[in-house]
Amino acid sequence: MHSNIKLFWNGVIPENPIFRLALSMCPAVAVTTNVKNGLMLGLAVVFVQVCSSCTVAIFRSLIHPRIRIPAYVLIIALWVSVIDMVLPVIDIEIYKDVELFVKLIVVFAIIISRLELFASKEPLLPSFFDGAGMGVGFLFGLCLIGAIRELSGSGTILGHELLGFRPLLIMILPTGGFFVIGFIMAAFNYIEYKLTGKIPTSGGAH
Amino acid sequence: MKEILKITVSLTCVCISAALILGAVYTQTFEPRQRIEKKEKQEIINSLLGFGHGKERPKDFEVYPVNRYVIEDPEAGTLIGYVVPLKESQTALVRIDLAGKPAGVIPLKAKHEDLLDKLLLNSMVKTALPKNATATFAGTFYVADIQGKRYGYVLEGTTQGFKTFINMMVSLDAKLTVTGVAIVKSEEDPGLGDEIKQDFFKNQFVGKTLEMLAALKVVKDPLPSDYLDALVPARAKKAGLAPDKIEEIRKKHVKDDIYALTGATISSRAVTTGVQNTVSKFSKRFGILNSAIERKNLQIAF
Repeated sequence: MHSNIKLFWNGVIPENPIFRLALSMCPAVAVTTNVKNGLMLGLAVVFVQVCSSCTVAIFRSLIHPRIRIPAYVLIIALWVSVIDMVLPVIDIEIYKDVELFVKLIVVFAIIISRLELFASKEPLLPSFFDGAGMGVGFLFGLCLIGAIRELSGSGTILGHELLGFRPLLIMILPTGGFFVIGFIMAAFNYIEYKLTGKIPTSGGAH
Repeated sequence: MKEILKITVSLTCVCISAALILGAVYTQTFEPRQRIEKKEKQEIINSLLGFGHGKERPKDFEVYPVNRYVIEDPEAGTLIGYVVPLKESQTALVRIDLAGKPAGVIPLKAKHEDLLDKLLLNSMVKTALPKNATATFAGTFYVADIQGKRYGYVLEGTTQGFKTFINMMVSLDAKLTVTGVAIVKSEEDPGLGDEIKQDFFKNQFVGKTLEMLAALKVVKDPLPSDYLDALVPARAKKAGLAPDKIEEIRKKHVKDDIYALTGATISSRAVTTGVQNTVSKFSKRFGILNSAIERKNLQIAF
């Protein structure tokens, strides 16, 4: 059980998808103009990541290695479509909030990379925790970026007026997204350098 | 050879099982989704006409849907057909040729309440037409009456957005001035184009007349702050604006062009041309339909 918690934690901070693996940067920049958008996309990603990881972990012996990529894409698309059809029946109000974000997920690099690197090799339980950890790490990253951008760009948090003025309009434009992600990434690298004494290397961006 | 067979079979199995699961989920959720969609649409129509959110409709308030069909008749050629409600819960299909002349009226079996059931109505229109003619559904608009007097119209419209189509509804008063715009379905990017759903954007269309709409452009100037307060009800409340003050500010800016959303000029333009096209087409079509109804002396319900 201890190793599973470690797997979960690994995805949240030490291997955070946005700040450490530098995966799925497009949605991280495009969507995070406020906290609510980040939160909704994050929740949708957690759900799809966990479902896809579990599916791949269960059927990993049946998926021929040569066709694993199309099979993974199909599994992700399947889960996205199922959510898109089932959620409005369960709760239309929630669906209206997350509808747009759910449809964006099919092409996210983070999900397919976790299927390829982890779920295709490990059994169900560790895959579940890895998927959940990566999803929550993505959610955390989106909310953090969203909070900084919303506060500095529109002077609000979750739509509530905090500052009463807009300090830096550039922050809610795409440029601001790059700035914020860059600064947070630098902070992560700095902390790692202080803790381990090694200069960190980053992953490839998508 | 053996390898390729294995791969093919494996991928086929994955695809077939995915398709089966999707098919099962689709059929299981089809009915409730349809029901919810219908309810949502009804609510949007109500709120566009000013009776949303628990505000009760007054007595004798009626909303009649009018469905438009494109009819391909091998003998008469291409015709446009409108299913209109008549008095005493009767309905009829009014056919008009492409030049705008009436081309015959066929009574339908449908009652007034059937007008909202698209599938049922499609089959009824089909059976009423000559055997080898086809009818394709081409859109709906709604006519609202209050105590026998014309209250307004709600139009359905589609426009090409940034990625895919934006479905919207536009409400007009009896003089064809825009009273509201609602985005029914869209897939614009959240945080950018998705802002078209916000009050400060879509309320800019309110008060635009037919002539103003025809000359309407999208400008990239920032939205004036007094106009912003008047457009968003929550902000107006916070700024302590009285209803007549809001009216005054809106009137001052009613001739303004549409202020584009920051970082989403394409979506802003898409909605603007969508509203323009929807309203101008409706005004033309409704004029033709009205003259046809007059000429044929039909007792229509609205």
